Parts: sequence; structure tokens; C-alpha cells
Amino acid sequence: MKSKKIKTFDVVNYIVFILIGLMVLVPIWKVLVDSFNAVGVYQFRLWPDKFTLDGYKTILHTKLLYKPFINSVITTLAGTLFGLMLSTLAGYTLAQDSLPGRNFFAYVLLFTMIFSGGMIPEYLVMKKLHLVNSMWILVFKHGVNVYNFVLMKNFFEGIPGSLYEAAKIDGCTPMGIFFRIVLPLSKAALASIGLMFAVTVWNDYANVKIYITDPDQVNFQYKLRNMIMDGDTPPTGYNVSQTTLFNSGIIMAILPFMLLYPFLQKYFVKGVNVGAVKE
Amino acid sequence: MRKRKDIITSTGVTVHQKPLKLRIWNNRGYYLMFLPVFIFVIIMNYWPMLGVRYAFYDYKPVGEPSWVGLAHFTKMFSTTAFWVAFRNTLELSIMRLLISTFASVVVSVFLNEMGNLMAKKVLQTIIYLPHFMSWAVVASIFSLLLSPSSTGMVNGWLKDLGILARDQAGIYFLADTKLWRPIFYIINTWKETGWGTIIFLATLSGINPELYEAADIDGASRMQKIRYVTLPALNNTIITVLILNLAKVMNMFEPIFVLYNNAVYSVSDVIATYIYRQTFAIALPNYGYSTATGLFRSLVGGALVLICNQISKKTRGRGII
Repeated sequence: MKSKKIKTFDVVNYIVFILIGLMVLVPIWKVLVDSFNAVGVYQFRLWPDKFTLDGYKTILHTKLLYKPFINSVITTLAGTLFGLMLSTLAGYTLAQDSLPGRNFFAYVLLFTMIFSGGMIPEYLVMKKLHLVNSMWILVFKHGVNVYNFVLMKNFFEGIPGSLYEAAKIDGCTPMGIFFRIVLPLSKAALASIGLMFAVTVWNDYANVKIYITDPDQVNFQYKLRNMIMDGDTPPTGYNVSQTTLFNSGIIMAILPFMLLYPFLQKYFVKGVNVGAVKE
Repeated sequence: MRKRKDIITSTGVTVHQKPLKLRIWNNRGYYLMFLPVFIFVIIMNYWPMLGVRYAFYDYKPVGEPSWVGLAHFTKMFSTTAFWVAFRNTLELSIMRLLISTFASVVVSVFLNEMGNLMAKKVLQTIIYLPHFMSWAVVASIFSLLLSPSSTGMVNGWLKDLGILARDQAGIYFLADTKLWRPIFYIINTWKETGWGTIIFLATLSGINPELYEAADIDGASRMQKIRYVTLPALNNTIITVLILNLAKVMNMFEPIFVLYNNAVYSVSDVIATYIYRQTFAIALPNYGYSTATGLFRSLVGGALVLICNQISKKTRGRGII
């Protein structure tokens, strides 16, 4: 009797989870198939009716579409490097217990999590810095991310203090300890937080919408939504159906992380757990 | 003479602390390393704070700013659109928080019951996926699926099922004031439920297996074990998640921004999108007014962070900031 009951539970559980899995996958699969399908249909297909690569070719050959993609790649790489540089420096300094003024620095950072100038004052400052209408604004906006600084500090605090002291006694400078001990021991942390920076910069839409109007400087997310939801499709010179083009665009926008994701899943997950559980 | 503090190093040796000046000099390397961080935080976070003063000025794209005192705040508090946006901000973000937290808890509890580790892993991989898609992409995907045109999957299905007549025009889901909110919650749940399970699954993996063994001996069924062992173990984590997210209620911007349109402002407009439109989408913006609204948003947001921080300190012994 009892074993039968357990079986029913498991069967129901598996069925429910297959349904949940399908609910997540159906929209994504629909987009993927439609991006290769020359005919636009509403039905869900497992395979394209009429296979075509025109959607992707159009994007790769239309400057108003591939330029934003290149901008996305550049800003994501630069933003990740810049963000990692600042967060490792901040985390390393703040992890020094005996540093005079450490609490002051921590408060300077934490206060920004409580109060901010708001959209307009920020816009006016960016204008003064000549960052309005420049894609580099994404690098600076996302690189200075106090939340990630604190995460990095938490990671660094996990390194045993005796390692620092041993290195100090051996005459290692703070910079030397940073490069020779802290960074090599923090590869997992660098991967996790680096990915968080990369995802944020790549996925940004709102800041582009606020700060950038020059079509040469927008990123791919912006161009994509602009095209699909605001009807701003550039002349392409290709005879491609709109549905095919839109769906190809969506796939291009998610491609980098979908390719990396299976290999890096553990780093993504680690970032969350350190942020929420430990901190 | 001031008494020097003694400090104990991690190796257990007691040493006298050196004078402050010397300690600062000895740590100059660290200060140098913090300098770039300090400079960028000042430029990106503190400099804009000075601009908050424009909340008390008339500041238009042409002409010099002129002092108006609290006029913008009086105007703001007597504007219906502002109050609609304020109420929507609270309703939309609290509802979506409750719905997606509930969904995450349910999914994690049953995922935890899954015996087959391989199946569990595959499913986790799948349900985490949508989190990495930007809001712009998610909005694009759903606007295609929900499109009233002939290629919209949902409208096509409704016609196949006979709910809509073949020759009838499709439902414009995202432009319908009755449907927009349910759709918004569904999209949120689709995107974030899976990712939300991570923190609950981490807690569940820490439950002492002896508790389940004891329940087995008492003859508890699977559902009883979930009810009396698993769920109580999640209480603290649920509170933590709610507090952490409650502090961010005023931040809601991008999810709305990519999904709303002028047909559904009454049910979807939030403070941040209201500020955006007052600045960038009207013919003669008054930056003073938008700054005042932004200041209101920052202050309420900051108060929420501090309140949640206090609640967090009381309930779980440590703050959130």
C-alpha cells in the first residue's frame, strides 16, 4: 500500500515537472524554429516548414543591425573588465580588517545603496561627462556596481588572514599580495562576478533608451526591441519575412549566454548563493 | 598619553598597535588601490546627488533654472497620474514578488522530492534559462507569441480551440487594461521562478536528514513530511527573500518599461516610467518636476531599504546592507 502511494506521488511529480519544463521551453523553441522558417505560422512546430538562413544573413549584412551587435560585444567585454577591476580593488581593500578608515570607505559605498540622485540628475552629469549618446556610458554605469563590490569583499574575506600575514612578513606589498595571492585564489569568484557584470551589460535596454539616440551607438537589445515592438525595422535589401527576421534577432540576442551557460552554470549559481545566503 | 590598543593577530600573538599616522603610511598601498574605486563612486553616484537641488527649481531645456521652492511637490501631490503611478508601483511589485516567491517555493519543494538526480539537474538547467534573457528579449518573445496578427501563437490556439471565431480579430493582450496585469505576472513568473529556486534549494539541501528519518519512523507520508519538515525549514529563507525584495520595490523600471504602451498606462505606469515620460517623452519637459518626482522615489526607496534592514536585523540577526 505504502509503496504504491509513493509511486503515485513520483509519477505526478514527474508529470508536473515535464509540464513546467515544457512551459519554459516552448516559447524558446518556437522562437528558434521560427528564426529558421521562411514562412510565418502561428502553430508550434518542432522543425521549420521551409528552412532558411535569411533572417541571420539579413542581420549580418545590414549595418543598422550588425553595428548594434558589435557595440553590445564591445561594451560587454569592456564593462566586465572594468567592473572586475573596480570590484576586486574595492573588495580587497574593504576586506582588510586593520585598515584605518575602512569603515568610512564602506559607508561611502553603502550609502549609495540607500540614496541615489535619480534619473534626471544622473542624466545631467552624464551630459557634462560627454557620455550621453555614447555606448561607453554602459561600461561606466554598470562597472560601478556597489552591490558587486560587496559580493567581492565577501569572497575575499573567505581567504584565511594568515595567508596575508605570511606574505606581509615575507615583505610582499599590498599590490603583490593582491596579484600573487588573492587573485589566483579567487578564480571562481572572478568568474561568478564577471558573469554577473557581463549579463547586466549585455542585457541592458533601459540605459540605452534613456541616454542614447544615435543609431551608431545603440546596443543590440535596444535595436531588437525597437524593431519588434516599436515597428522600426531598417530597410534590409533582403526579401525576408518580418517574423523570420524578428525571431533571428531574438536568437542572436540570447546566443552568447545560451552557448556559455551549460559550461558556466555553476558560476552563475554560486554568485546568487554568496549574495543571498552568506552575506 | 593615549593608551594604545592591543590587537591579537590570527596567529595568536598580542602586539601593540602602532600610532595612527604610521598605520596610515604603512597602508598607503591599500589607499592607492582604493583610489580608483573612490573616484568612480564619487563621479557616478555622489556627483548626481548634487543635482537633487533642481527639485526646487524650474529647469527647462532653454533658459536658466529659477527657484520655485516646493511648487513641484505641490503639483506632484495633486496630479492624478502621479498617484496612479505610485499605487501601481506598490501593487505591481508586491504582487509579482508574492507570486514569484510562492511559485519558487512550490517548485523547489517538489524539485527537492525528485529522486532522480539527473532529471533534477536537467530540469534546473532548463528553468534557470529565462533568467539570462534580458527584459527586452523577453518582451519581444512574448509580444510575438501574444501578437494579434496571423502569426501570434496564443491567438492562433484560441481560434483552433474555438474560443475565438476564425474571422475574428485576435486579442491584443498587451494593450488590454484587463489582461495586461495577469500577462505581466505570467511573464515575470516564467522568467524568474526558476532562478528564485536556487536560494530555496540551497536551504533545503542543508536540512538534517535525521529529521526525515525520524518522520519516517513516525510513519509520516510524503506530503506530511513536506508539510512538517520541509516547509518549516524554509520559513527563514522566505522571509529573507521577501525582505530583500521589498527593499527594491521602488526600483521597478525595466520590466514595465519594455512591456507597457500608452493603451495601458492606467494599470501599468510606475513612478520610474512616469519620470521617464515626464522628461523624455513630452514636448516641453521641466527637469525640475522630474527631479522632484525622482527625489520622492529615492527617498521612499531609501526609507524602504532602511526599514527592511531593521526588520532583517530583528528577524534574522543581520542587516541587508
